[in-house]
Amino acid sequence: MQISCDDIALSLAGAERPVFTALSFTLKGPGFHALFGPSGVGKTTLARLLIGHVRPDAGRVSIDDGCLRRLYAYNLERLPGWSSVGRHLEKITPAQHRARCAELAAEFGIEPVLGQRFARLSLGQKNRVNLIRYLVQDFDLLIMDESLANVDERTREQIIVKIKALFPDRFFLYISHNVIEVARFCRQVLVLRGAHRRPQAVTVPGLDGRGGATVSPEMEKAMLAIMNAV
Amino acid sequence: MLARRTYQFLIVYAAGLALLLGLKYLAGLSDYVIPGPLLVWQTFRDVYGRYAADTLNTLSVAVLGQIVSICLATAIGILGRQTTWFGNFVKVAAYNVQAYPIVALAPIIFILLGDGFITRLVIAAMICYFPLLLVVLGVMSEPVVEIEHFYRITGRMRWQLEVKIRAFENLHKLTTVVAGSATLAMAGTIVAEFIAANAGIGYSIRIALYQSDLGKILVALFHIGISLSVYQALLEWAGARVQRRWEAAGGDVAS
Amino acid sequence: MSYKPPCQEPASCAQPFRRRGWLLPMLLACLIAAAPADAADPVTYRLKWLCNSSTVGDLYADVHGFFAAAGLAVEVRAGGPERDAIKELELGQAQFGVASADQVIRAAAKGSPVVVIAQIFQVNPLQWIYRASRPPIDDLADLEGLTIGVTYGGNDETIMRTLLAKAGLDDRDVTLMSVRYDFTPFYRGRADLWPIYRNSQGIVIADRMTRAGEPVRFFNPADFGVRYVANSVVTHQRLLETRPDLVRRFRQALLQGWQAALDERNEAQALETIARFDPDTPPDLLARQLRVTRELVRPTAGFAIGRIDVKAWRQSEAIMRGQGLIPEPVDVLARLHGPEEP
Repeated sequence: MQISCDDIALSLAGAERPVFTALSFTLKGPGFHALFGPSGVGKTTLARLLIGHVRPDAGRVSIDDGCLRRLYAYNLERLPGWSSVGRHLEKITPAQHRARCAELAAEFGIEPVLGQRFARLSLGQKNRVNLIRYLVQDFDLLIMDESLANVDERTREQIIVKIKALFPDRFFLYISHNVIEVARFCRQVLVLRGAHRRPQAVTVPGLDGRGGATVSPEMEKAMLAIMNAV
Repeated sequence: MLARRTYQFLIVYAAGLALLLGLKYLAGLSDYVIPGPLLVWQTFRDVYGRYAADTLNTLSVAVLGQIVSICLATAIGILGRQTTWFGNFVKVAAYNVQAYPIVALAPIIFILLGDGFITRLVIAAMICYFPLLLVVLGVMSEPVVEIEHFYRITGRMRWQLEVKIRAFENLHKLTTVVAGSATLAMAGTIVAEFIAANAGIGYSIRIALYQSDLGKILVALFHIGISLSVYQALLEWAGARVQRRWEAAGGDVAS
Repeated sequence: MSYKPPCQEPASCAQPFRRRGWLLPMLLACLIAAAPADAADPVTYRLKWLCNSSTVGDLYADVHGFFAAAGLAVEVRAGGPERDAIKELELGQAQFGVASADQVIRAAAKGSPVVVIAQIFQVNPLQWIYRASRPPIDDLADLEGLTIGVTYGGNDETIMRTLLAKAGLDDRDVTLMSVRYDFTPFYRGRADLWPIYRNSQGIVIADRMTRAGEPVRFFNPADFGVRYVANSVVTHQRLLETRPDLVRRFRQALLQGWQAALDERNEAQALETIARFDPDTPPDLLARQLRVTRELVRPTAGFAIGRIDVKAWRQSEAIMRGQGLIPEPVDVLARLHGPEEP
């Protein structure tokens, strides 16, 4: 499983400056990887590039055969309002993943709200419900764009740990602003920098869940490397 | 809802009458120009039965015309929501054709189809069609990205689901335009009857105009107002029920 | 459309000055004499319908200076389906108007202060047209079994019901068909009789039918003793009482205009006048419409145009009362103030 970008240049319509100029990187999966960078640097645009919703002006995006089934989830998504969350999950979960869905619902703490309409949930609950419905699909690559932005820190950690445990053979790209989180849980952190920087993307190794909750020297080093790369 | 609409109308009607009477007494006008309250009451007693039947007649044509209109607007709106050549053609045609004053075409329709029920139905449907179509087109052409994204990216999107999502998200807009088009349908039917029909309250108003009988016109307006209030209240109630049903029990999800 | 008369020439200041001492008074006298003559009385005259051959006298009086000569600045306004001259009199929007007897009687029944000062049409132009291939209608009983077009709520309905009643017929003995603005049912043969105005569409339809090989005849209610008065000149009771001179001048100028318009010697000018306001009607058709109008307004050569037919007014009131169109009798005589009055 590998995704790579080779000398990507991209300007969005109406933008003053290009988003990417000579963007190149390679990410080898499977695993829980991160895409990190300051606001507005182009993380979402890169995600859309990787799932094929946007084509580059120049350069090449290479997705190998192992990553053909690509999904992209983001935190602003909503479920239709005409049925309860539980009913909706039932409808969109393939038969072979029903048990997995129930397990995730329990683990993510949304079992109590399965009978409610999506609009009545809290933001954190909405994030979790939305993520579950992606996790129960058949996918090779899942890009999670701030998918847990409204979830509290402890629950977020639990969720990430669970995902890594349940899906060790999948490729995740976790877009986040939280440097501690990405340093601790992710295998590789792709740090995206401004279009004027060379190189525009730098890959920094994360701890991939090693070391527990304390901020170890190793973790500090990783965090430092990430911040320096920005 | 019904009570509120009815007394709202009655207030407006009474205010209008009071204004007319005020003008009558201030300017010293005879009953010929503005009938006095006694004459209005006498006229009401003379014609209320006939006018009530005429109004029901007109309302039935208006309701049917509106239903035809809604079905047509829904079908064309769904077809025209896409960005294909056909979809764009439908949108452009809808915007351009609605500029034609339908009432100017009405006499031609009467010549072609005669002055029976079908002609009035066609005109009623035509008059409330375009506002409905424009709203349906607007609703159906506007993706609800936050909801539709999941279905598109997982390959689950079907046109029925797309229509359902967009309709549900804009239910209030749709029910509002349906309630509003009721007034249009009624107005359109009355105008059609006015131009050249031999039934309905518009026809009765035309006769009253020939006779310069403002009393009869006031009675006709009263009947129209009351029947419209009842009809709109009914539509609002139906719209609220649809919304509640979709929100309460789990509807059949097409996804 | 109003004609503004030129100001009268100021009185001559040519008298020679005899002595210097009289200079100032003479100058003053000249200035006083040089003051403009009384301005014409402004008047609004609302017609019943659009400007066409039925209004030839009204237009002629205006265009050819009859009103101006009487010291009147008259604005002649065309009527139409949404206009009611009698209402405008009461609202002060017009001083004179044209209305038919049914309008006057209905208004009078509701207390409107309308009075009639002249009757233009001596014969009602509202008649019916039918194919000559049908048996001629020589007797009212011949109406039985026919399909007759009527405008529900209109004068033709009133007249037809009177005719049927006179013949001892009612709704079940004939088929009454609602009339719209077009004549298709008559052209297609779905109706036997169709209401028309004898001096306007009547001629057009007759032409068209004759060219199509279907000559026509006209059914005139007056031939069967039903005289329902048509266009008459009306004004407000108050104006008649407070300004009788104005009313007299207006009426005289108007009727002189009608007299001149219908004079055969002025036919070319009359046609040119109508054509100015009715440019869409071809000239030859206008000429024929004018001739028929002449017969309806001036039935005989020496007829005093504008004379009020009191009997016909009484009959009109009786017809309306008989059909329940007015709740109580109306004293029409009290409303008639024709030219024959002093």
